[in-house]
Amino acid sequence: MVAPARIAALTRLRCSIFQTSYNPTSVRTGAKYLRARLRGPSMAQYYPAALNLSQLAREFPELEIVDPDEEQRIQDVEDKKKRGKGAPKKAKSKADSRRATRKK
Amino acid sequence: MPNIRVLRDIKARELVRANEVARRAYLYVARNQALPPQVRHQAQLQLNTFGRYTRPTTVKNRCHETGRGRGIMSEFGLCRFQFRLKALKGELPGVQKASW
Repeated sequence: MVAPARIAALTRLRCSIFQTSYNPTSVRTGAKYLRARLRGPSMAQYYPAALNLSQLAREFPELEIVDPDEEQRIQDVEDKKKRGKGAPKKAKSKADSRRATRKK
Repeated sequence: MPNIRVLRDIKARELVRANEVARRAYLYVARNQALPPQVRHQAQLQLNTFGRYTRPTTVKNRCHETGRGRGIMSEFGLCRFQFRLKALKGELPGVQKASW
């Protein structure tokens, strides 16, 4: 029969030799949050980089890049306005609001 | 143009990357039983102030092609249907249709 104190001493010595921390009561030290590798960098590059025309146009206005999708959208809005299907005018007061005329 | 869910996911990934070190530091303090409870509680409160998209669990792998969130083959980053289309076209190296 070996005394518990002897076993504890042995464990402490073993920890000092193999450079592990002596933690006989298994207290949570939170070390695993520091030990784990950072996952952000690999997470951030999951999607392949896509060319963004509108962003390019905003960054380099001197190149005068035309975004066909944006042109089409503006054209569609103009067409809708001509047919009277544009966005309603902003209400000046609470009474003008379209919400006021809505059925309860 | 990727759809809104993909854009949101890209945003979440960027925020996770930007806040990861600070979050880890607070996690270390909050989960460390050797520290006084008041300090740990303060650290936990700080953790709660981080935004929704700074947690790595909010990030979801979505299809590169369609942005679909389910049925993703993580090895290729494609949903099952896009995987099939690309594999049949021969755009995925080493993938072959089974035949025996």
